Amino acid sequence: MTLVSRLAATCAMALLAASSALADVELRITHPISSGAGKDAFDKIVAAFEAANPGVTVKQIVFDDDIYSDTGLITQLQSNEVPDIYFQWAGYPMQRDAQAGYAGDLTAAMADGWKDTFIDSAFAPGSGTSVDGKIYLVPVSLDVTNTLWYNKSIFAENNLTPPATWDEFLAAIKVLAAAGETPIITGNNELWPLGNWASHIAARTVPAAEYDAAFRQQKTFAEAGFLKPLELMQQLAEAGAFNKDMQGLGADPAMAGFFQEAAVMHPIGSWLVGSEGDLAAPGFAYGQFDTPVIDPSLPGSKSVIGTMTGFIQHAKAAHPAEATAFLKFLTAQDQAILWSTSGAISPVKGVADKAKLPVQMKGMADMLAGADAMVSPPDTTYPVPVAEAYYQAAAYAASGERSATDALKWLDETVGAMPKP
Amino acid sequence: MSATDRRSGTEWLQLTLGGAIVCAMFYPAVWMVLSAFKTNREIFKHPFALPADWKWSNFAEAWDKGGLGGMYLNSLIVTAAAVTLTVCLATAAAFAFSRLEFPGRRWLYRLLLVGLLLPPPVVAIPLFAILRDLGLLNTLTALILAGTAWSLSLTIFILQGYFNSIRPDMEEAAMLEGANIWQIFRDISVPMVWPSMLTLAIVNTISIWNELMFALLFTVDDDKRTLPVGLIRFFGRYSTDYAMVFAALTITTLPILALYFLLQRHVIAGLSATAID
Amino acid sequence: MAGRNTGFQPISSGATNLLFVAPAMILFGLFVLWPLGSSVYYAFTSWSGYTKPEWVGLDNFRRAIFHDPVHIASYLHVTLYILGTLVLEVSFGLVMAVVLNSDRAGFSIMRGMFFSPMVLSMTAAGVLWAFVLDYRLGLLNSVLRGLGLDDWAQPWLSQPATALIAIMFVSGWRFSGFYMVIFFAALRRIPRSIYEAATLDGATPIKQFFSITLPLLRQQMLTCVLLAVTGGFAGFDLFFTMTNGGPFDATQVPATWIIRQGFDNNQLGYATAMTVILAVVVLIVAVVYLRVTERGNHVRY
Repeated sequence: MTLVSRLAATCAMALLAASSALADVELRITHPISSGAGKDAFDKIVAAFEAANPGVTVKQIVFDDDIYSDTGLITQLQSNEVPDIYFQWAGYPMQRDAQAGYAGDLTAAMADGWKDTFIDSAFAPGSGTSVDGKIYLVPVSLDVTNTLWYNKSIFAENNLTPPATWDEFLAAIKVLAAAGETPIITGNNELWPLGNWASHIAARTVPAAEYDAAFRQQKTFAEAGFLKPLELMQQLAEAGAFNKDMQGLGADPAMAGFFQEAAVMHPIGSWLVGSEGDLAAPGFAYGQFDTPVIDPSLPGSKSVIGTMTGFIQHAKAAHPAEATAFLKFLTAQDQAILWSTSGAISPVKGVADKAKLPVQMKGMADMLAGADAMVSPPDTTYPVPVAEAYYQAAAYAASGERSATDALKWLDETVGAMPKP
Repeated sequence: MSATDRRSGTEWLQLTLGGAIVCAMFYPAVWMVLSAFKTNREIFKHPFALPADWKWSNFAEAWDKGGLGGMYLNSLIVTAAAVTLTVCLATAAAFAFSRLEFPGRRWLYRLLLVGLLLPPPVVAIPLFAILRDLGLLNTLTALILAGTAWSLSLTIFILQGYFNSIRPDMEEAAMLEGANIWQIFRDISVPMVWPSMLTLAIVNTISIWNELMFALLFTVDDDKRTLPVGLIRFFGRYSTDYAMVFAALTITTLPILALYFLLQRHVIAGLSATAID
Repeated sequence: MAGRNTGFQPISSGATNLLFVAPAMILFGLFVLWPLGSSVYYAFTSWSGYTKPEWVGLDNFRRAIFHDPVHIASYLHVTLYILGTLVLEVSFGLVMAVVLNSDRAGFSIMRGMFFSPMVLSMTAAGVLWAFVLDYRLGLLNSVLRGLGLDDWAQPWLSQPATALIAIMFVSGWRFSGFYMVIFFAALRRIPRSIYEAATLDGATPIKQFFSITLPLLRQQMLTCVLLAVTGGFAGFDLFFTMTNGGPFDATQVPATWIIRQGFDNNQLGYATAMTVILAVVVLIVAVVYLRVTERGNHVRY
């Protein structure tokens, strides 16, 4: 049956090639940009590319975040019909793809000045876009993966202002809890929403080298000093900070809960802005502040947690020339501005100033500019099982399910059982 | 007199108790359909009320937004092909196992029973690798063949039991008259078990139509997704647009529910006749 | 039954008869047995799915059995789940088969409605129940709050203590109809005269249930228990759509943990080793069960 259909397909191809000298090219792009303003912007860019390149059609294969990173992408990479271009997170996933031979080397294509159209930090060591000086990932967005969003009217009702220190933050939570509000809503059934925030808090309280050693399984988390961030999580739990159903709730319903005023604060990434149109009632007033300073004496006390995301051209792309052309098109000024306006911070030079950023994104860009360090989320930097184990430990402490000490013990036992890299 | 009274008393109890339980269990389905006609606000404010205004437009919107049309077609193709294959191959095999002798008969039958005990996730990963090597990943063919293979054990098992419950007199008579085995199978045995084949076709339709894991792992393209995967995806994307989710649920569920109620008598009677004992 | 009792009498024999089973066996071998066999190889490797498998000997098995508490706990969860299904599916199905066993008008449609949750896809059922059980806006908590029982409103699927129980109830809602049908079919075959005689002797309906119905349904009960046990191990869809193993792995069953480790955490080799373990466990349970129940199951009426 397969043989017959293959033969039929081959015949059909031959016929097509004979009938039209310029055979149509179908560019396959897979990504998880599945909703909101981002999807609209991406669709527009694709349409513009098709208009500018007659004969090339773009086929988008879209998944939701979680399915994309769990099974969606790997299934396609393993299949015989690989995507020409695929979305990927900078850091560990890109590195793994490069080693496995999926990611195509774009260094040569970048050499003609394309590279210089990005901000300098886009390809700096540690940016997670290159391996051994070879560029594999074309960055498209700078995502702040966690910051605190708050409901301005409820803050005002309770005479609160965005806290600057951890103690002020705890005090504000207690005021809100006493007033019968749910201070913080998080939808943590996939563990990364709270895990990301807890990692940011860890990066603010654990020395960078120790932090790195723990996630690389070179030291136990206890030795590296992870009791402190877990204790902070426990403090939040004791102050009654979180929604009761955090461990069963999805990330999206939690965001919806924030926009429906079911809670006062919501720790999540910069992409929240893109969902405002879909979810918020007209006139909904919200703002954003970074995780309050925990210990001003430590370096990186004003760090921001974030990552770059972008696209990789598959090493065995069926249409490499068209794929590169698309990636150049996507990161050219006009398109980057269009993309950025949908609620993303572009790593393309000059775009942040020119794009009409929503006021919330402007604040985000300013926060990035004022940060003294950039922390990347563990699940895109280190092996996923280790990152997820820390996320779960944080959830234990934050939900009151286990004390910080017990959560830490659980974490080291769990990670200890994993094979060492 | 008293005996009749008691019987009707028991029957009243049966009717009220049974009715109450059945209604409670059926209510979520009713609630789903009613909610599909409401606005989001109404779903939360008046969860139990009838829709104030029947919003038929929800369905059109869900159909368009979710691209449900293509998925319907895929589900139809996969289900029709896999069910046909399953029932045909299983009937032939069940016929052979119960009427014919051949080398390795007992051994093959036992091997087949292994499939009855294994949960599909057990082979998800190696099956993934095999489909990749065969170049079937991301094709509807993969879902059809894998779906069929995993339905065969139970179908053969039940059909074989049914064959065994009928004496092979007719077949033996035809044999004496000089008919060959293929003719006997086609003209005597198949018509004989036809009702059971139909029942098993319906049962397999339900399970393959609803199959999730294979579809999730083995297909990725938008245009190759089946309804259960599409629904999960739809739920992820519109997780907060409740009216939309209920509309999509209703659209995808009603046809199979309707089919079932249409053939209900047949399903239950058929399952009873072939009851696994 | 009759066929088995009279012994096997083939109408024909010879190797060409293999042609009748060949198509089914080829498909079955290719997509069921071959993957099962090849999993044995991957189980001894470290394999991320991205790179080539690397031979690691027994490491995966050692880790699964001695160093993975969640894996061990998943067997506890699935055992609890199976025990729950015996009550909420098999026993409830049996009771409902008795309750709905009547020729009066309306009973046929009631049996149909009772069976109908089986027809819904697990995805649809999962999504539906997520709405019913939602903490803030769900149907169940709305009812409880409406009755003034605010304290009873719980985040059902978000706390380890209630998540597994909630899943058992949803499972009962979904599958009890199936068992009802099997029992109903058997009830139909019990001659009415037996009950009439018992009634004349003054036995109450409850007594009749225990002294007549239950013993005569022994065979069906054994079948149903076997189906519930093997079906319980195979349970994936329900857990995947409702909690995906959470909260805190409290609803992690072997199937969800295998998929999580294999695809989420890119440890396909390790996941395959757990697969082999699951297959062995299910086979042992089934064989032991069949051995134990094979004796004396010749109930006739």
